[in-house]
Amino acid sequence: MSKYSEELTYSFTGQVAPPVRETRIGVCAAYCGECSELISDVQSGCAQLQERKFAQSGGCQLGLAVGIVSSLTNVVVIIHSPLGCCSGFVGSGGLRKTMRASKGKRDEDFVWIHTNLDEMDVVSGGIPKLRDAILYAEREYHPDAIVIANSCVPGIIGDDIDSLVSELDGRLSARLVPVHCEGFKSRYVASGYDSAYHGVLRHLIDPLVKYEKAVPDENQELRDRLRYSRVVNILNVGSNSNGDEVELSRLVSALGLEPRVIPLHTSLDDLARLREAALNVSICATHDDYLLGHLKERFGTPYIIDTLPIGITSTSRWLRLIAEFFHLEAEAERLIELETADLREALKPFRKVLEGKKIFVGGGETRIITTAEFFAKELGMKLVGIKAHNIDRFVEEIGPDLLGDELHVNVAAGQPAEELAVLTQLKPDLYCGHSGANGWVSRIGIPNLPLFGQALNYMGYGGAYELARKAVKALKNTNFVKNVSNNVSLPLRDSWLERDTKLNIKEAAAV
Amino acid sequence: MSTSTFIERSKFTCALGGALTTLAGLPRTVPIVHASGGCAGALSGAYNVAAGYRGVGYCGGGMIPTSNIAENNIVFGGEERLEEQIENTLVALDADLYVVLTGCQVEIIGDDAVSVARRFRGDNVIGVSTPGFLGNTFKGYDEVLTAIVGELIVPVANKDPLTVNLFGVVPGHDVFFRGNLDELTRLLARVGIHTNTFFGTGESIDRIRGYGDASLSIVLSPAAGEKPARKFEEVHGTPFVLDELPIGPTATAEFLRRIGGKLGVAPALIETVIADESGYYYSYFERIVDIYSDVDFQRYAIVSADSYYAHTLTRFLANDLGWIPHLTAINDLFDDDERAEYLKRFDDINSETKPVVVFETNAGQLLKHVRNSWARNKNEKYYDALSPAYVVGTGIERGLAEKLGAGFLAVAFPVSNRVILHKAITGFSGALTLVEDLITNLVAAR
Repeated sequence: MSKYSEELTYSFTGQVAPPVRETRIGVCAAYCGECSELISDVQSGCAQLQERKFAQSGGCQLGLAVGIVSSLTNVVVIIHSPLGCCSGFVGSGGLRKTMRASKGKRDEDFVWIHTNLDEMDVVSGGIPKLRDAILYAEREYHPDAIVIANSCVPGIIGDDIDSLVSELDGRLSARLVPVHCEGFKSRYVASGYDSAYHGVLRHLIDPLVKYEKAVPDENQELRDRLRYSRVVNILNVGSNSNGDEVELSRLVSALGLEPRVIPLHTSLDDLARLREAALNVSICATHDDYLLGHLKERFGTPYIIDTLPIGITSTSRWLRLIAEFFHLEAEAERLIELETADLREALKPFRKVLEGKKIFVGGGETRIITTAEFFAKELGMKLVGIKAHNIDRFVEEIGPDLLGDELHVNVAAGQPAEELAVLTQLKPDLYCGHSGANGWVSRIGIPNLPLFGQALNYMGYGGAYELARKAVKALKNTNFVKNVSNNVSLPLRDSWLERDTKLNIKEAAAV
Repeated sequence: MSTSTFIERSKFTCALGGALTTLAGLPRTVPIVHASGGCAGALSGAYNVAAGYRGVGYCGGGMIPTSNIAENNIVFGGEERLEEQIENTLVALDADLYVVLTGCQVEIIGDDAVSVARRFRGDNVIGVSTPGFLGNTFKGYDEVLTAIVGELIVPVANKDPLTVNLFGVVPGHDVFFRGNLDELTRLLARVGIHTNTFFGTGESIDRIRGYGDASLSIVLSPAAGEKPARKFEEVHGTPFVLDELPIGPTATAEFLRRIGGKLGVAPALIETVIADESGYYYSYFERIVDIYSDVDFQRYAIVSADSYYAHTLTRFLANDLGWIPHLTAINDLFDDDERAEYLKRFDDINSETKPVVVFETNAGQLLKHVRNSWARNKNEKYYDALSPAYVVGTGIERGLAEKLGAGFLAVAFPVSNRVILHKAITGFSGALTLVEDLITNLVAAR
């Protein structure tokens, strides 16, 4: 329980920015080989020192950080940067509407502002523009919070956004939340989650204000504590759907507990009540150990960071850990028995189709390990390989259990050139991967399905059924990928696709 | 002090984004981005979705080679890392042209990526400096095409009197870029003019190398294309004209007369083609005459776009379709002289009502402009409302259209609520598709 609090420390809110994950956690970001080798190389520390000769564009921590804070209700996001950073909002900004609608929340236009730094600002600093942008946001939109996402340019030239925030804080109706998520500072994009939560924890989580009641109730505090003693915060992530949240809440409720889904898509008032819970439960360690570790240190709220509740084994494991905390083991077993009996029966026809077929899964480490495990153990598929964005301590416990020693593991964030070479050589019948990868996999003719989706269900027992259903559906007509691969060209040379991807990995140059 | 200001909901990416979307429009071309790891994928991703689902192209998205500069390179410099990245890109990726682009980080620390690229000149590698802080999308387009004009296109002494270059159609930023270039190519071919389009159907790097015989460059945007056209004049001696992307029968007829006239095409041929194309246009347009008249599809038009589309769209809606041009907002010109010059274009709007024209870069302010342009409802019993209205703009205006209760069609970047494959909106057949899409939204609930 709350195991990372013993190994890691979370008291960084005295600093303007959190440490990046390279230093805080230690990460392997480049690897190609068998699972057993990887585990021993991670233990010896070698795996963490690897880099690649030919690199392709991965993510940026700015995008991930802004993804978290921009989901909050009634916020304006200021990107302190030239026009390019987060310009993807022109395509994805509208998704905020659909996500909020799926959760039954009030429709809001998503407003973002670029400080539009130019050559002159690089020389003389961008603070005046940032000040103008903050005042404009306050005047025009009266938001609850104005988030300031700091990018590479001000990071390198040394704009002191925190002094500006100190100067304006308290003089505006909006709360100001600086987020230090300069892309060049970390190659490990999940640092962006820490940057975002650091801003939230430093600037939005205050001591709770209690108001005196007109009719005093001396038992109010006890009553409140009783109620919170059953509240379980389920920490959502940008890649889950509302359906996932409904399913996980259903399972937690079935144990007689009170689930509450936070922090994405919530209001500042909801965030202020983060601490009013008996337990914080993660559904993805990559996202929220920084937040949960800090809440444990600051408010004493215990947490569970373990597995991602996808598939039968992982969902049951996730439920058991929650139940254990509340001493509801017997209830959990009854629930699991009931749920899995129904589900296994329902999965039978899917298993018939998928059994023995080869599958490859790529994406975030906990997500792919749990997803791959479901395909292999419950649906009888032959897992030929996985590709993880990175490998760190969060999968030490779930990884080795679920994967065979000889399994092919590629550690790469993005890097489709390596992944397509691996896939060309392993020839899976089905691929399940992160957005951005599936299009390339279609181009080489392998049927595929997305690893996650904001409109699709994946988590819990209901999600497991949906995932199996989607996998079978993908194989009902494979003409799309056949036609695409026969007619759309790929920039990769044949010699590259045939060669051992290990050749692209090198030891990092000493710094 | 900088003269630019912050921008709310910018309809542009940065210079690097503009460079990437431009390269994604070129056949078999691979960008190599010297920057931090996320820039290329994110910028390419913006066009994948917001350019009417244009996709990442031959080598976009996560496939883009990137030097992946991090904090230690910021301290020690990243040129060595770039060199290694170029060498290995040549091993992995097959292309006719490799273009090294730079991001903000490496430019601030002073890496000379263009010189590093020059070492690989024999492998079809060129380098262009494109840090985001140089400016918006158009800046990146201009820098990349200027480099191609200067370094790739082979000088030719004998010009072909009937070959023209088309500049200013920015791939992805014009979500109809390829359809538009193909339609212009088709129309100009009818009057005997051959086009060099860079991004249209049938182009290749080899063909582009041979563009040097063009005798005229046509710049179709007030904000992009002039710089490479000037470079073309300087290197290849080809003059250029500033023109406009024509939409619909009136504007396209004038366009053909202007360009044909410049190149000495026989006026009789031009008039024959115009009559023929116009007849074709109206033979289809006729189909909506009944429904348009019977249920009144005349609308107050509110146009929001960059200078490339704002006037030409307004003109089509007013002069050809007969809508009432109420308000046109332009989101990209910043210089007072440029603005004054651009305003003159609206002199050719020949409807009884002339539009209010504003320059507004902050998307959220558009609603205020609309409200200030029309007498407010002071709870009168009889109120002459700005209705029925139709917003023709970018995807960002969806919220505006909802607030106004207006019809809505996204045609200018970003467009993420519909898929654009081979459609055009320029010329005669492009205008027909535009009419189809505009009116479809009015009958969609039937």
